[in-house]
Amino acid sequence: MNLLLYFGAKVLGALAMLVVGAGVVFLLMHAVPGDAAMAALGDAASPDAVASFRAEHHLNDPLAQQFWDWARAALTGDLGKSISLAGGFSTSALIAGSLPNTLFVGGFALVIAIAISLVAGSIAASRHGRMEDVLATSGAIVTISMPDFWLGYMLVLVFSLGLGWFPAYGFVRPSESLAGAFHSGFLPALAIAVPMAGIFSRMLRTTLLETFRRAYVVSAHAMGFGRSFIFWHYVFRNALIPYVTAIGLQARYLLGGVVVIERVFGVPGVGSVMVDAAFARDYGVVQGCAVVFLVIVIATNLLVDALCGLLDPRRAA
Amino acid sequence: MTAPRKPGSGMWYTFRSNRVAQAGSAILLFALVAIVLVRLFSPYDPNDKDYMSILLGPSLEHPFGTDSFGQDVLTRVAYGAQVSLLISVAGLVLGGLVGTVIGMASGFWGGVFDTVTMRFTELLYSFPTYVLALCLMLLLGYGSRSVSLAIALVYVPNFARLARSMTSATRAENYVTAARLMGQSPARILLREILPNIAAPLLVQFSAGLGFGIIMEAGLSFVGLGVQPPTPSLGVMMADGKDYFQKGPWVLTLTGFSVAWIILGLNLLGDGLRDALDPRLRRRLS
Repeated sequence: MNLLLYFGAKVLGALAMLVVGAGVVFLLMHAVPGDAAMAALGDAASPDAVASFRAEHHLNDPLAQQFWDWARAALTGDLGKSISLAGGFSTSALIAGSLPNTLFVGGFALVIAIAISLVAGSIAASRHGRMEDVLATSGAIVTISMPDFWLGYMLVLVFSLGLGWFPAYGFVRPSESLAGAFHSGFLPALAIAVPMAGIFSRMLRTTLLETFRRAYVVSAHAMGFGRSFIFWHYVFRNALIPYVTAIGLQARYLLGGVVVIERVFGVPGVGSVMVDAAFARDYGVVQGCAVVFLVIVIATNLLVDALCGLLDPRRAA
Repeated sequence: MTAPRKPGSGMWYTFRSNRVAQAGSAILLFALVAIVLVRLFSPYDPNDKDYMSILLGPSLEHPFGTDSFGQDVLTRVAYGAQVSLLISVAGLVLGGLVGTVIGMASGFWGGVFDTVTMRFTELLYSFPTYVLALCLMLLLGYGSRSVSLAIALVYVPNFARLARSMTSATRAENYVTAARLMGQSPARILLREILPNIAAPLLVQFSAGLGFGIIMEAGLSFVGLGVQPPTPSLGVMMADGKDYFQKGPWVLTLTGFSVAWIILGLNLLGDGLRDALDPRLRRRLS
């Protein structure tokens, strides 16, 4: 019951955060200098055309009214129409077409980063102060220092232009061919994952080292349990909580990286849509994309809270 | 009789015995000397276009090669590093000041103000970095000033949280109580008693943030939404280099390598500072 209450409160908080966040995005996009009607129709538009455009898109309504209308439509999945693309594509259709690609590359990157960091962090901590530790720790700080998009081009240089193993540009949608998506998504995912793995493994190493020193671990040693038994039964699970929290906190950096990496590899994801819309000054689409990213980060944080609650039931008590 | 050690010399001593911080300083010093030397002695101007020597690979005359305008890449990196670093420093100083003031105030007084500011930082934490930056760019227009502001906005919540937790931990210390009993004003207590004692972690955050600020400037300019050419920031140069990456990979490769080099120095220095300034952590991990 306590657990349910704990999650319920978290979900309510997340929803409130989402509403306020959407409001902030809405206000930001409406505070942008320049008139949306002028941006859509061009500077040479006649006053009549501008007036009818404003009326058609309800631009003369009070801001609160506009936000309410927009939010209500957004809840039914309607995020308005693009003003820059011919034919007025709906924003929802643009996002529905691109979101799976972003989630695929982002999720793929997350899995790679977690896999690398679990191995590297555990080895570094259990071989503390020795060769393996020094190697893992220096590797981590070097990878953290590389801009991810530059790393992307270096990977292209080696694995596409040099060895020809992976495509340098372009992305096969997971709905078309899953194998193709893994193949074409590997380099972008790796470019995002490597610096992430550096951050994650440093985090894991620190928390593992701290846990090694806890009294219950020392007493387990004194009772004569084997090293690997102690590691898996006493240390690892307790060290996982800060590790999972750290991963959750990195969600905003991870998705930030996705935005730039999508441009490098030509992945048609939400980030690409958003940057294109920003260039075209298509504020409705930028707004829709920003809210989608907001939803992803908030959902991730909720998931992390749930995981931490499961790992450490005391939190919900 | 030995002279008493000057205050602060303990920090210098730990710095001297800290290999990580030394490595970081050495890397940064090398970069700094290289930048100064190139700027003093390079026969080229960063904006000198030479259409007779377009996209030349690295050689003795052009150690980093030339770009699509025949400009010397090494010279441009030396100038661009200054632009990028200044943008990052400006962003971090602004974000650090605002975040620290907000965080110290909410840690010191608590109450409703504390609740509101912490919700506000949580909100900022919920936006992916580049999404926040991109919205800000649209609002303020592209350019170095907006990039600095975007970096500041990304770092305000980090500093606010850090300053808040450190301040509320320090508030109960005896010397703060003593200052309060002596009738010192809250402003004086915050500035003279608390700030010096929480400055170290803030400094570490600043040093680590500088590197990320450079990455963020590079990323935004790389996409075309940050610093605009012809201002030679490192991000602008990398964006330019990606357009002819197959014909002249050295432009993007070596510019990015210089970026990574500087950031590595900053990160090592930040790590070393953290270890040196936080003896509790160091003891626990040694």
